[in-house]
Amino acid sequence: MRAYGYFIKMRVLTALAYRFEVWIGMVGDIIMLAASVYIWKAAYGNGVVGSGGFDVGLQNMITYTVISVLLASVFQTGVQNTIYTQVREGNIALDFMRPLPLLGIYLSDDIGSMVSALVNKAIPLIVAAVLLFGFPLPAGAGAFAGFLVSSLFSFVILWLMSAMVGMVAFWVAELGNLGMVKDAVVRVLSGSLVPLWFFPDAVQNVSEWLPFQYTYQTPIGIYIGVTTAGDAVRAICIQGIWVIILGLLLAWIWKHARSKVMVQGG
Amino acid sequence: MAIIEVKDLVKEFVVVRKKTGLGGAVKSLFWPEKEIVRGVDGLSFDIEQGDIVGYIGPNGAGKSTTIKMLTGILHPTEGEIRVCGMSPQKERKAVVRQLGVVFGQRTQLYWDLRLGETFELLKRIYRIEDKRFRETMDILNGVLRIQDFIDTPVRQLSLGQRMRGDLAAAMIHDPTVLFLDEPTIGLDADAKHAIREFILTMNRERRMTVVLTTHDLDDVELLCSQLLVVNHGKLVEDGPLDAIVNKLSPHRLLMIELNHSAALPDHDRARIIRQDGLKVWYQFDKSAITASELIADLSGKLPIRDLSVQEPDIEDAIREVYRTTA
Repeated sequence: MRAYGYFIKMRVLTALAYRFEVWIGMVGDIIMLAASVYIWKAAYGNGVVGSGGFDVGLQNMITYTVISVLLASVFQTGVQNTIYTQVREGNIALDFMRPLPLLGIYLSDDIGSMVSALVNKAIPLIVAAVLLFGFPLPAGAGAFAGFLVSSLFSFVILWLMSAMVGMVAFWVAELGNLGMVKDAVVRVLSGSLVPLWFFPDAVQNVSEWLPFQYTYQTPIGIYIGVTTAGDAVRAICIQGIWVIILGLLLAWIWKHARSKVMVQGG
Repeated sequence: MAIIEVKDLVKEFVVVRKKTGLGGAVKSLFWPEKEIVRGVDGLSFDIEQGDIVGYIGPNGAGKSTTIKMLTGILHPTEGEIRVCGMSPQKERKAVVRQLGVVFGQRTQLYWDLRLGETFELLKRIYRIEDKRFRETMDILNGVLRIQDFIDTPVRQLSLGQRMRGDLAAAMIHDPTVLFLDEPTIGLDADAKHAIREFILTMNRERRMTVVLTTHDLDDVELLCSQLLVVNHGKLVEDGPLDAIVNKLSPHRLLMIELNHSAALPDHDRARIIRQDGLKVWYQFDKSAITASELIADLSGKLPIRDLSVQEPDIEDAIREVYRTTA
């Protein structure tokens, strides 16, 4: 365990080694946040919203957006890119020399990134949000607790999906835009940009059977109180089921990937 | 018992043949033409504990592929591998705990952090006790002078320093077997010397087995007690360096510099292969006549001013192996 702890520490130190990147990232996040919120303000101002008859006020929508941007800045799933670059550049050979499970190492790396993101991304974002739009309060203490639990599951689901996509690199060596396609699908179907409530019923029905909406929409819905306590428990259970399914699938892929390893470049 | 046992090892790769031109590129996109290539083709050998073994062969002979199978990274198509009595594929974590590995063209050091951080990480990965860790660091400092740059970020190290750092990192957990894949590639004479000294020290003091792939035949000559020569994925020579060189080029040269020109006598067991001014080169087979006998025979007949005996050139011998097995 101490080894994983040190992996996390190394990642935090590495993140801090690039101060310029930290500052630029901060500015980018705040621009994203402001732009998303102003789009919703504009939409509500013109009375466009409400097609589904869903009862979500502007203030709730602003909170939804702020929390969504915040989660996106903290959820670090570098594993997709890590596996891809390590395979592509052949450095996967060195990772195999550690007497530890590779995925454990990559997970610690991402947890380290999350720790540094909490400090240098989440905190500035919260400050900016408070200054611009007021503090985005949760619906209640229970809602907040549910949100924290649900967010943890969200991260695990996102991480497992990223690891799976990254592992495709063992077969094709050249991932191309697969990662970007997956990221786009996640962004749209997770409700991180626009909640799925605003989508046609058909999309919503299909989406219920996919893992994506359980990554962003579920915890944020709980946070703003759109999801009732009973529904929240049910949603978190579904998240748990997805964690198990994706976890087993990843383990199965990994077992086959191991024998497919190629080391590029001598 | 041999510490590394390899039996009938085969590794096949699928190579996609790319066709030329735009038409060919499009065709390859839909109907790739695949071909199976044997990178390693039926290797068998044993390595005994405490040996320094040179694993050599021309580019593409299958050296790195073999090392990567021995270290559990690649899975063999056929054949069996035992390292410290275990299969590196089935028991990767237990096997790599016993191994130190340096790939000369890669680094396991953390690029953005000070060198010391990598050692701290390794200390935790291998659960090394404080006391043991300090002792090992002292030894490593003694030979590799790590302390001079332990606080420097790895990206600012010179190649020689980085390689010393990588060697130290591979040694920190006291491995039983050390794999070195071209450890002296691109290094200056001083850094090469330090690294060779280090390998010899570790081998002598801790009876560490070393498997070394290299193209630098000085490495081979100065370090290796045993040689494995591969070409086209097959083992072509296996044995002590001297024996291989003797077998391939049993000849030595005696160079004689004369005081003044004189009639050159023939010798029944040596022949003149070259003459340049007052210098003459006799070639002889050391199993037929010793150097001192030849010198004694010639010194009575020739006005000798100076002489030297030249050992057979290892490089020529190795080149000869590569050529005849190509």
